Amino acid sequence: MPLAAAFGLSFTGYTSTNPVASWVGLRNYRLLFSDPYVPGVLITTALFAAAAVVSEAVIGTVLALLLARKMRGVSIYRVLYLIPLMVAGIAAAVSWKALLNTSAGWVNSIIHVVGIPQANWLASPTLALPSIVIADIWTGAPVVAVLVLAGLLSMPEDPIEAARIDGASQLQVVRFVILPAVRPVLGFAIIFRTVDVFRQFGLIQILTGGGPGVKTTTLNYYIYQNVFTYGNISYGSTLAVLLVVAMAIPLGLIYLITRRREI
Amino acid sequence: MATTYDAAGRRHPRSRRKLAASFASNVVLLIFLGFVLLPVIWVVLTAFKDPAQAYEQPPTWAFHPTLLNFRVLFQSQFLADLGHSAILMVLSTAVALILGVPAGYALARANFRGKGFMTSWLVIAYVTPVIVFIIPLYVEYLRLGISGSYLALVLSYEIGLLPFTIFMMRSYFADLPVQLEEAAMIDGCSRARALRLVVLPVMWPAVVTVGILVAIASWGEYFVALVLTDQSTTTAPVAIYTFVGIEASNWGAMAAGSLLVILPVLILAVFIQRGLIRGLTSGAVK
Repeated sequence: MPLAAAFGLSFTGYTSTNPVASWVGLRNYRLLFSDPYVPGVLITTALFAAAAVVSEAVIGTVLALLLARKMRGVSIYRVLYLIPLMVAGIAAAVSWKALLNTSAGWVNSIIHVVGIPQANWLASPTLALPSIVIADIWTGAPVVAVLVLAGLLSMPEDPIEAARIDGASQLQVVRFVILPAVRPVLGFAIIFRTVDVFRQFGLIQILTGGGPGVKTTTLNYYIYQNVFTYGNISYGSTLAVLLVVAMAIPLGLIYLITRRREI
Repeated sequence: MATTYDAAGRRHPRSRRKLAASFASNVVLLIFLGFVLLPVIWVVLTAFKDPAQAYEQPPTWAFHPTLLNFRVLFQSQFLADLGHSAILMVLSTAVALILGVPAGYALARANFRGKGFMTSWLVIAYVTPVIVFIIPLYVEYLRLGISGSYLALVLSYEIGLLPFTIFMMRSYFADLPVQLEEAAMIDGCSRARALRLVVLPVMWPAVVTVGILVAIASWGEYFVALVLTDQSTTTAPVAIYTFVGIEASNWGAMAAGSLLVILPVLILAVFIQRGLIRGLTSGAVK
């Protein structure tokens, strides 16, 4: 129901100063195509989503493979890696804001010790988006790791043994036996993260507020600004329709890719 | 791990490689663990530091722990805001369970027309960014004059919480053998009686686990609370945001507030570790 209502609102002239649902036809959609910010916002959204989801999938899978090893102390890692899943998003966001602070942040003092020049993480046009990606990896990679680990642990041992006996190297076992087996779980984890990344709000609002300029303004955040800062409720609804369409494309693709090549 | 030696007493090359591999794994896992713990350590230390020391570069490790930050918090509205969060958590968890447990049971057991349609509808509700729903709801709440009320907030929270509860409960009910209810019903129980006397007692731990997961999600909710709460319902996460100034943030208060929000969840989580993983995987198609 609200979904249809949002679609309906996108054809009206509703604003917070003029709260009347007057029919304006496609005016908001024409506005959408002439809005100079929209292309940049879409590119930022795509870059952020791609960078965050790909790195979380890769790091998460590697971590899961390591966590699945039968080593001493591995269960301690398994428990501690769950922490980011439970920490409220706001707490993660404010601590990353402080950690990435230019003059007093711990990240800069840590990399200073290693000899890397200190950076202006959140205010630099080139580093602001990567900073948000790093903070997102903090929650995202453990989520993928936990999911894939659950898949790995429920996997039967026999195929791995069989491959080893046939002379497969460790890498070959991972590539040809383990990865195909966890493909459905990994696919689910990637979809799960994609959904989350598209709705990421707290990190962007608190770390950069969408800046510098509009360098880190994603579509979700742009909608928030339009509706709740500027009161352009109906134009925000039009952007929301765009968000649903923009999300449907990668989700559909990931679904098809992870589903089709099952044996 | 025992190292194997060959006849000449040399270390077996394969086991040396194994040792190296496990060393390398530990290094990678440790580095990532540092990354995972970094914000947590920051929160704990900064919460007990003198506010002025929080900005020192390099960070001070030796400091006299102080409760100054918590005093600042309690002089603001923060205690009341924690209370608002708690009320919202209880209300939204109760609603999610009351509606979600029977719905999950129905989806797991019954066959009815439109079941597939309803399932995909729930998936869409779960996947769509909440802002898409909030815009029309916000307009409607303003019109009805209930914006900022617990009613409006709980209703909005359920957009995400209810589908989650239903999917989780469906997966738990699906794992339960049907024979359990069938046996009770053959013995003369009505379906409702069988549910109450046979199924629910077995499912109790599952309901508690799901309830805790929902409570955690509701407790940490930020976006909906930010746009819908007013002074009388401000939640703790929104209050923490008010310590993030444009020019200078009050790090001490931010950290102390974060600690108070994180701590109860970490304690609860100890009890539901298994459920937590299940909560993540339940949606994963079987």
